[in-house]
Amino acid sequence: MEISSKILGVVTLLYLSLFFIHLLYFATKKEGALKIGWLVLYVTFGLHSVGMIARWVESYSPWTWMSWLSLPQPNGPGHAPLSNYYESLIFFAWCIALILIIMRKKLNAPVISMCALLGALFFIGLASLSPSVDRRIQPLIPALQSNWLHVHVFTCFIAYASFAISFLCGLFYLVKGRGIIPTAERLEEINYQSVMVGFPMLSAGILTGAVWAHYAWGSYWTWDPKETWSLITWIVYALFLHARFARGWKGTKIAVLSIVGFGSVIFTYFGVNFVLSGLHSYGAS
Amino acid sequence: MSVIKSNPPAKGETLSRVPATDSIYRFLSSVRFTMLVLPFIAASCVLGTLVKQQATPEEYLAQFSDSTYAILRFLRITDVFHAPWFLLLIGLFVVNLVFCTIDRLSLLLRSAGEKKLPNEKTLSAMSQTFLLPGKRVEDVARLFRGYKRAGVYDNGQVLEKGGIARYGIYVIHGSIIVILAGSLIGLIAGFRGSLTLAKGEMRDAVLKRGAAQATIPLGFAIRCDDFKVAFYPSGEPKDYVSRIAVIDHGHPVKEAEVRVNHPLTYKGTSIYQASYGSNPVFRFSVAGKEVSLIQGSVYKEDGLTMMVMRFEKSIHNFGPGVQIAYVEGKESKASWFLKDVPRLREKEIMGVPVRLDDVREDFFTGLEIAHDPGVWVVWVGFAMILCGLFVNFFFYYRRVYLLQTSSGVLVAGVSPRNKDAFKQEFEKWRDRLNGNK
Repeated sequence: MEISSKILGVVTLLYLSLFFIHLLYFATKKEGALKIGWLVLYVTFGLHSVGMIARWVESYSPWTWMSWLSLPQPNGPGHAPLSNYYESLIFFAWCIALILIIMRKKLNAPVISMCALLGALFFIGLASLSPSVDRRIQPLIPALQSNWLHVHVFTCFIAYASFAISFLCGLFYLVKGRGIIPTAERLEEINYQSVMVGFPMLSAGILTGAVWAHYAWGSYWTWDPKETWSLITWIVYALFLHARFARGWKGTKIAVLSIVGFGSVIFTYFGVNFVLSGLHSYGAS
Repeated sequence: MSVIKSNPPAKGETLSRVPATDSIYRFLSSVRFTMLVLPFIAASCVLGTLVKQQATPEEYLAQFSDSTYAILRFLRITDVFHAPWFLLLIGLFVVNLVFCTIDRLSLLLRSAGEKKLPNEKTLSAMSQTFLLPGKRVEDVARLFRGYKRAGVYDNGQVLEKGGIARYGIYVIHGSIIVILAGSLIGLIAGFRGSLTLAKGEMRDAVLKRGAAQATIPLGFAIRCDDFKVAFYPSGEPKDYVSRIAVIDHGHPVKEAEVRVNHPLTYKGTSIYQASYGSNPVFRFSVAGKEVSLIQGSVYKEDGLTMMVMRFEKSIHNFGPGVQIAYVEGKESKASWFLKDVPRLREKEIMGVPVRLDDVREDFFTGLEIAHDPGVWVVWVGFAMILCGLFVNFFFYYRRVYLLQTSSGVLVAGVSPRNKDAFKQEFEKWRDRLNGNK
């Protein structure tokens, strides 16, 4: 087993421990538990990053490091761990942790952080445990051999992660719970803030994808299912912003829109790979 | 994206007096209309991914019944994104966007000059407000660093910051129109086609996409001088490169290696490496004589008639195999030759010894040819939208009112877009200004 898998195994356990730390906080209501939680989250995020970098390093064939020998590289040069389904799940979990850290001040709602971290745990767990996920490092097919890969995948997944936060806000709004659940007003505010991060990121993701498609496939837009679904997602969140800022929508309607929007995100990410077929089928293997 | 509600009827205006054209214009420029058109566009997109697009009739008939296919074809659901009704939706969206932008921008530009100072009662009711007893407006205004004076009155001042954020949205909306205009140019004046070339082959026309048999003349010729494919040990392609020469009026004008992600452009037409294929050539020795055959070609000599029927790259891990059909008497028979198995690569057919010596795969290159004069317009639109998004989502507009009252200066602030951040900033101002007492 490679070092990266071992590191990511520890990271999975850390995400699990973060869940329990949050439970401890809800049980004791001690601010200290929350502080420890954030500390553990920083460590988890750091280690998660190290794990991905380790996989990146491992993807280089050992010969690369002795390049002066000019030995053949049967598996090509290495590549960032962003090229298949396993790697995308690991990266999605990383993006969720990153968005929590970026939005730490604005978020300030432990129940949302907890659920988001459970999401991260689910994705990293699915990646490491599901028998249908191929965990081997695969060489890059020619279409993916491009620097656009990094910026395209990064912007898209940051957007997905922010929309996950927005989804949680919508969900908790509809539950109308009390106690540990923030007030309706706070939930709405966090919801807008996360869409305000996600929307420009998704836009940038679609644009970088279009530029890349122009160089790789010969057209910036081919109505490939993944492209089309990312446009559908974009339209849903554009509606969200217009409903909120131009039409003054509030409450349940906005909550429903953020849930519909995330449904579209999930379909863009998973559905297109497994239900529809197209040029974008890298994520499914 | 400001707090302006869509088309608030002005006070005292009676709707009955509004002419019909005016109310149509109002509807077409309203956000209400946007929120009607966009879901329809999204729903069309969903339809366009659920039903296979631009496929052959056979593919549809394998999935749908005759009548369903007829309906799908009549409604153009087999090619949603080029259907007249889809283009109409996009047209309505563009009309909405243009009217709405004209409407809002003129309103914003008109109101940019006048920033009224509300009365004490309104200001006190704002969510962010505090009182500085015994202070003068002029002194307080000077302490608000980074803020611009937007209105100076006898009894107070209006200050603002992040005014640029209010224009971001118009850049975003404008860029969407630019991108759509660019794609329209591509749709009208551009073309897309494909081309397969074997090593040494040259062509000056491409097969039009979607339409069988239709060709488009390029105005120059493309020659494939060399083509190489490299594979990973797993069998996946690692790299495929065509050495391409462009020949214009009989002269070679450009030569380059075209690989995936690295196209070659000549006179606005780009040549992309898209795919590859192979035509295997089979070398037999028939009665000691060397014979090269390709799939489907017939060998007829010395009373032996045979043809290559099938080729498999690997038969049960025994390596490449070739199926030969031959005529014995009046019956047609078939037999497999396995190249890597000594006992199975040689056979006697009707008394003639036949041996499969070699299978050579001649790869040919699959090129995608695209001519899109609108692509630069699209790139400009992309750059604009990124600038607009940056300004719109990373800056925010806020306004601070300073009003001289009998008990001191009343400070009130609003930010329609970023309440949380503004609240924190405002509280900082309150602490700082109170500390300066």
